[in-house]
Amino acid sequence: METIKAVFSYTFREHVRNKVWLGGALFGLVMLAGGLVVSALAADERGRVMLDLGLAANEIIALVSVVFLTVHLILQEIESRSVFLILTHPVRRWHYLMGRFLGTLGAVGAGLAAMGLAHWALLKLLGWGGDGWYLAAWLCSFGKVAVMGALALLLSLALTSEAAAMAFSVFFWILGHFSAELRFVADKSGNALLRSALLVFSWAAPDFAHFDYRNAWHAGAPDPRWMAAGAVYALAYAGACFALSVQVFEQKEF
Amino acid sequence: MRRAPLAVAVAAFALALAVQPVLRERARAFPPLSSLPSTPYVLQDAGLVSGGLRAAAADLAWAQLLQYSAGGLDTMTDAPGRPYDHLKDLGLRVARLDPSFHRAYLYAAGILAWFRNVDRPDEAVEVLREGMRADPGESSYPVYIAAIAFKKKGDTDKMVALLESTLSDPHSPVEMKTILANVYKSRGEYEKALSVWGAVLDDAGAAREWPRARLQLAEIKALRKSRRASARPPARPRQ
Repeated sequence: METIKAVFSYTFREHVRNKVWLGGALFGLVMLAGGLVVSALAADERGRVMLDLGLAANEIIALVSVVFLTVHLILQEIESRSVFLILTHPVRRWHYLMGRFLGTLGAVGAGLAAMGLAHWALLKLLGWGGDGWYLAAWLCSFGKVAVMGALALLLSLALTSEAAAMAFSVFFWILGHFSAELRFVADKSGNALLRSALLVFSWAAPDFAHFDYRNAWHAGAPDPRWMAAGAVYALAYAGACFALSVQVFEQKEF
Repeated sequence: MRRAPLAVAVAAFALALAVQPVLRERARAFPPLSSLPSTPYVLQDAGLVSGGLRAAAADLAWAQLLQYSAGGLDTMTDAPGRPYDHLKDLGLRVARLDPSFHRAYLYAAGILAWFRNVDRPDEAVEVLREGMRADPGESSYPVYIAAIAFKKKGDTDKMVALLESTLSDPHSPVEMKTILANVYKSRGEYEKALSVWGAVLDDAGAAREWPRARLQLAEIKALRKSRRASARPPARPRQ
């Protein structure tokens, strides 16, 4: 446990010192540009557009950050050979991996929280009378970030190429938003083999519709049981990806 | 021991699969992308939806709908003699990206049913019916459908009564208010028309209608003045 805490701490500090604040700056620019465009184009739905745009920008920046950071997380240490130094100490490999992953998730989560607070304050400044479900939307975005981070970690270790891992991460990210479409195509397909393949794929790939409260915000408050099941799904899917990452990492010879 | 992480992964993945039916049953379902009307913006919509930006895609589509209805969208031109030719498709595009976008249904239906030279109430009813199906929480759709039915029958009094009942609804689009104000004006009910245009001027979200509201207020005040002048008995010549 102490090892995990130590690795978590240095990973978190490393990210905060180096890269994560850039996401916040980018978010500020997106919000400013978005506010200008919105004021000109859809003034009568200003609150709605600012809410949607802010939540979307917040999530996209966090997702890009987590994929970028996680893909580099271990591969860079393998390339620079600093991982050898760490693993010569009495550090279990899964402790090291867990500390690195949680440190990255913590740094991205802190960035996501800072962006969320800034966005919420901006909305309040514009007179937005939100119904208090902002935190639910934020948690759903964090669930997506956790799943995507774990998947990117697995891909980086399994593929051992940063470019390939990033390309596949983007592929799964897009696929995760198309799970309903995959099932729709499977239902319409007359070919049993194609139908089965699509269904298996739609079940196995991460389904980001399970965290899609942000897009359904205007339809009303979220169902608490849906939120609870979403949390279980995020933990289980991220856990499965992390366990597979440990399996791959354990088999690497240093 | 070397296989322990694999066993954990299998168990965790099984748990993830096990909660999926609960999530799918309780999730908000969105129309598939294939249901979007054919517009030059299909790639834009597909790109945003594939990045998980469905609500933002609907907001952008809404801005484009407003641009189109103001005559500022070069990519979609109307056939001769058919103003607002693509309005139904653009309205349904917003609504199918985000079925809870109440104003998209009401805005498109308002123009299709009541705007001068447009007069396509059947298309308006089609849009509102989709709203009733896809956005069941909103109560004003059946009211507007009934108002359109009265308009088709020529029963203006009942149509006006129904439109008046929607004025207090915060989602009621400014177009519906301007339609009602124009009906009042054409019926000579200048005080009511002035009150509706005044409410439009007080509405910060209706800024794009303010220049028109100011013009209408001046015009209606002039009409009211001339009617009062004509109603006054002619002054007797002094002896």
